[in-house]
Amino acid sequence: MRLLLAAAAAALALAAPAAACTPRASQSDLETKLVCIQCHTTLDESDSPFATEMKASIAQQIRACRTEKQILDSMVAQFGPSVLSTPQTHGFDLLAWVLPLGGISLGAAALGFGAKRWARARTDASVDSTQTRLDAADERLVDEELARFDG
Amino acid sequence: MRIARAVAVVAVLSLLGLLVWDVAHGNGPGAAQQVDKGKIVPAPALDLPRLNGAGRMTLASLRGKVVVVNFWQSSCVPCKQEARELAKTADAWKGKGVVFLGVNAQDLEGPAHAYLKRYGVTYPNVRDGIGATWPKWGVVGVPETFFVDRRGQLVPPHIVGPASRSELDAGIRRAQQT
Repeated sequence: MRLLLAAAAAALALAAPAAACTPRASQSDLETKLVCIQCHTTLDESDSPFATEMKASIAQQIRACRTEKQILDSMVAQFGPSVLSTPQTHGFDLLAWVLPLGGISLGAAALGFGAKRWARARTDASVDSTQTRLDAADERLVDEELARFDG
Repeated sequence: MRIARAVAVVAVLSLLGLLVWDVAHGNGPGAAQQVDKGKIVPAPALDLPRLNGAGRMTLASLRGKVVVVNFWQSSCVPCKQEARELAKTADAWKGKGVVFLGVNAQDLEGPAHAYLKRYGVTYPNVRDGIGATWPKWGVVGVPETFFVDRRGQLVPPHIVGPASRSELDAGIRRAQQT
């Protein structure tokens, strides 16, 4: 009986840390969102000693039930925003998102404007060509040729 | 049409301005390369958060003292080889107008703190998260050690790799003489 109680107590003691919390962040997700500061690739693409240290630090924080945001924030606090694989969506980093979109929009607008001008120029040219009249000699020549076909 | 031309001109001028700024602020040869040629050059600025203490610390605040600046990482084996020697040398020169300053870069804070504790480093250390100071100092790896004289100038030698007690003492004496 004592042996059974001891075994149950041991099982509970081992199970307790596991049940302490449910992980609130994914190691693999975080490894794609963070860059190894020494090797300049995302953590999931690096096996360098420093990347391994960073991965271990992430794993430790996940075990401590920290959220993804908390873990990312702790890395940014240590290394600055360049530890993130994608720029942040606020502050100066927002420019990294806005500038390309702005550039694409401006380019599209310029292209549309140019296409519109070109189409208008073509229409004007075709209108001009229909309005071109034959002189009297040419008109007579055309009439004669048509008469030959009719005849 | 005039507006479009003006926008294009402004865009081109802005890009040219950016290019000029980048060239002007680009990473030329670092201070280490000058010191290695035997030159005495102004020490690049250091203004970083303290690793073993609160607040920030600047190199300028140590003007009037000889400063031994040591760049290190906790995962670097040669850094570990010199760490105890640096700590002992710092203790030996304490109160003699000589200050040691560690610059920890590209390192996790936890292991960095553990390193200081393990090797008995008590002199001031600052933290440069991504190693932003390296290009100006010309640091290409760790450990590297520099000597700054009382006027804030870098004087030879510049030690690459683990520094020995005799090298440190010689560097300090040279900095004291300038």
